[in-house]
Amino acid sequence: MTKEQHKKADNTKNSENGSILDFSPLPDSIIDALESREKHRCFKKEGKQSTPDCNKSSIPGAVTQRSCVYGGARVVLMPITDAVHLVHGPIGCAACTWDIRGSLSSSSKLYKTGFSTNLQEKDIVFGGETKLMDVLLEINRIYHPPAIFVYATCVVGIIGDDLKKVCELAQKKTSTRIIPVQSEGFRSFNKSLGHQLAGDALLDYVIGSSHETTLNHPFTLNIVGEFNVAGDLWGIKPLLEKMGIHVLSTLTGDSRVEEIARSHQAHLNIVQCQKSSNYIARQMEKKYDIPYLKVNFFGIDDTASSLRDIARFFNDHGMLKKTEQLIKEEINKVEDAIKPYHDALKGKKVAVYVGGNKAWSLIRAFEELEMEVIMTGTQNGLPEDYQKIRDTVKEGTLIVDDSPVMELYHLLKKYKPDLVISGAKEKYMALKMGIPFCEFNHDRITSFSGFRGYINFAKNLDQAVSSPVWNYTEKKLKNGRINQFNEVKNAKI
Amino acid sequence: MPKSEKNFQEGCGGFFIKDVENSLSQKGMFLSSTDKKFAVINPARMCQPLGAVQALLGVKGAMPLIHGSQGCSTYMRFQLCRHFREPINISSTSMSESTVVYGGEKNLIKALDTITRQYEPELIGVTSSCLTETIGDDMDLIIRNFLKDNNDFPVIPISTPSYAGSHVEGYNHALRALVEKLVNPTSVHYSEEKSTFESSYIDNKLNNLRRDPKYVNKNYNVKINLITGLISPSDVFTIKDLLQEMELESIILTDTSQSLHSPLNGEINFLPSQGTTIAQIKDTINSRGTICLSRHADSAGVFLEKNFGVKLINIPLPVGLSATDQFVETLSAVGNKEIPENIKLERGQLLDAMVDAHAYNYKRRVAIYGEPDMVIGLTRFLSELGMHPVVVCTGTQSNIFRDEIGVMALEYGHDIHIISGGDLYDLQQKIVEEDVELLLGNSYSARIASEKNIPLIRVGFPVFDRIGAQRINITGYRAGLNFLDKVTNTIMERYYDPGIQEKI
Repeated sequence: MTKEQHKKADNTKNSENGSILDFSPLPDSIIDALESREKHRCFKKEGKQSTPDCNKSSIPGAVTQRSCVYGGARVVLMPITDAVHLVHGPIGCAACTWDIRGSLSSSSKLYKTGFSTNLQEKDIVFGGETKLMDVLLEINRIYHPPAIFVYATCVVGIIGDDLKKVCELAQKKTSTRIIPVQSEGFRSFNKSLGHQLAGDALLDYVIGSSHETTLNHPFTLNIVGEFNVAGDLWGIKPLLEKMGIHVLSTLTGDSRVEEIARSHQAHLNIVQCQKSSNYIARQMEKKYDIPYLKVNFFGIDDTASSLRDIARFFNDHGMLKKTEQLIKEEINKVEDAIKPYHDALKGKKVAVYVGGNKAWSLIRAFEELEMEVIMTGTQNGLPEDYQKIRDTVKEGTLIVDDSPVMELYHLLKKYKPDLVISGAKEKYMALKMGIPFCEFNHDRITSFSGFRGYINFAKNLDQAVSSPVWNYTEKKLKNGRINQFNEVKNAKI
Repeated sequence: MPKSEKNFQEGCGGFFIKDVENSLSQKGMFLSSTDKKFAVINPARMCQPLGAVQALLGVKGAMPLIHGSQGCSTYMRFQLCRHFREPINISSTSMSESTVVYGGEKNLIKALDTITRQYEPELIGVTSSCLTETIGDDMDLIIRNFLKDNNDFPVIPISTPSYAGSHVEGYNHALRALVEKLVNPTSVHYSEEKSTFESSYIDNKLNNLRRDPKYVNKNYNVKINLITGLISPSDVFTIKDLLQEMELESIILTDTSQSLHSPLNGEINFLPSQGTTIAQIKDTINSRGTICLSRHADSAGVFLEKNFGVKLINIPLPVGLSATDQFVETLSAVGNKEIPENIKLERGQLLDAMVDAHAYNYKRRVAIYGEPDMVIGLTRFLSELGMHPVVVCTGTQSNIFRDEIGVMALEYGHDIHIISGGDLYDLQQKIVEEDVELLLGNSYSARIASEKNIPLIRVGFPVFDRIGAQRINITGYRAGLNFLDKVTNTIMERYYDPGIQEKI
């Protein structure tokens, strides 16, 4: 259909034929596209199912924000700081993704190095196994890492390299852990599979592989699904330590291989990113009998109740007391600090579109600043994720799944939020639309977790929405009609 | 295969020329530059589809579509968005396990259908990926099946196997595919007047050509094709500006000057709203000739020369004094135009600044890293300033690169480590060995700079840890002048006290 035809066809559709969103002044083709995905959007309504259709393959060509299985695996594993992360594939898979996650480290920086086997045409023809072995031995010689994770990419799956076999052989030769991650990019449209494969790699090759007993502490736990983006972990760990808990390991932010290898000795797992890491916690419960608690360290209330849950789990009188005292002290500090931001942010409408966890874990944090979340959504949500979102958001919130660029644009245009929370790919569209934006993905540069992080969070939101630049985005140049210089000349000075 | 392209593709591993004359006389003998042979550690190049997408982003109304799994387009979008700070859309055929088994035809056709309906592009550029190249999808055939009776709609297949070459080759292939698929032999005009580009001219006998009365006082149609290579939107703009000052009409392949540096004016464009139009690309066969500023991206020019007699001239990217001189003189000769006073003024100002700054820059040991054409240009410019490029590195394997740098090493009497097809691990080793005082490179070299405490000037792609990557401007006299100030001031800041006494 040509553009002219679209214009003619304008205004012929309306929302009364069952559509939940009215996009009527748009061209037919766009309305068709939006309507074809109608099941992937819904409003939360009391007494109704209120979860969108999800975990379906994206429409080819629609400019999805989703990534690949390799991407899913690497986000979970790459924060392990002293390991080598070797991408077995052509150069691009490593070149586009090395050092892109803002996970911080307090010790080794090896994880920020980009390793690739750089498969060439002849490797594609004759197989990449020999090259992989050569590269593994070479890297081991240069760095002597405690572990090398080897990620399979699309083409490796096609040419059929036996990753497991090569890794096993290399492990014998090098006596370091060489861990295959079967993360061929095309294996699923949903990168959640990558999260799970990364979990399997840890469960099969790392967790439980060290039997060295750690200190005999009565209260130990692992923080699972915390990747220390912008230093988030460092907002959580001190709180737990003040409660008298020893953090045995983190999976995987600011972690070292040896710590994870001993993590099976913990008394408890707490799960922060429930999108990527519930699987690991569940498996550790099965395998090592470690119970797990779902926690959330974004927002004051959620941080406080997470700490209380943990204290209650250990059920130690001293700890319970210490925890209450700690919460009281911290909340006092936070409430004073966020006051000026609170005033600036009150009543602002927020749209959230992220990879997963943050679509529900941030909702309360916004509500505490009296901001209104009008829309939330994820690229890779599973039914259980949308259940969580549904249970968290208030009545009337729009919930979306795998929204392509075009749809996201029309949703933002229609609902006009005062702030968008998303990642780098959506950032510049929002900004060009004149909508304030706050980064909440890989390249976030400020820690938002725990009580102190909440102050940063409020401060960042204020930075995003309160700048005077937004006063100018609607302003246009006007053509002058009167010659002002003449006016001045004629004026009686 | 054209000679230049062949040279380019043969490639070579990391090597260096210490004793320049000796090495040049023993071409083909390459010394491994570091203690590693197999692994790539901190890659210094991207894969082919990314380069192809960058070429497509300069075509008005073009939607790039990567035939592969979703990660390819998502990660490339991520890289491009954070560099250009623009909303950039790249579509994907979203290949998955089942479609890989049965071939990608269904997904590709569905994707083309979705894009045409939802985004109404004027053109779709379909790049392949390692995945779809390996499973052997015949994109040409699939696209023909899709188009059926709608043959006019331009859907351009671009073969970009990620397991060969780098983004520079991808860019080259995309330009060639665009020209090859769009030009139509029946639309050739003005065939007689093409003779302006005589072979004598190709031999660079500029003066002979200009004095020849045959070429004087004729009212030529001076429209030319200009291949810029992978440069920043601001550099494209500078080159366009120079052409305009010379009153030359041109077709830029491809023009990212506005599409990747777009204003905030209330409009949201899902596709480039500005750039080279399809009509312009079709018209390239009628141009007087093609000036190519990238020896690594001239295949579209070679194609036009070979098939339509549109003469091709390869000249260096106009970075620094002599390369910009060559560019301006070439334009003057091609268009038979006097060089405008304003350009002469700017040249004089650049030269004046070079003289003013020479003492601070002389013999400063610099390392330069990035896309091959940019590095060649900057190596010449910094050599003109009296600096000593001790390490030059590009991630793309290229004989052209090695030769060009080798010639400069001879000309200026410099020992230069040349790393072609290397990575940042190689670069870092040489930087440490050579006691480098200034580093020019993209954001990935920032860690080396901070670890080794070397001042860094950010150029190239990607630059994500500073603002204004799309405005990094090194071409022409005026931008060259600003860049020279930046270089010299960086040196002064680091190596001189506030009272500009040299630090002891």
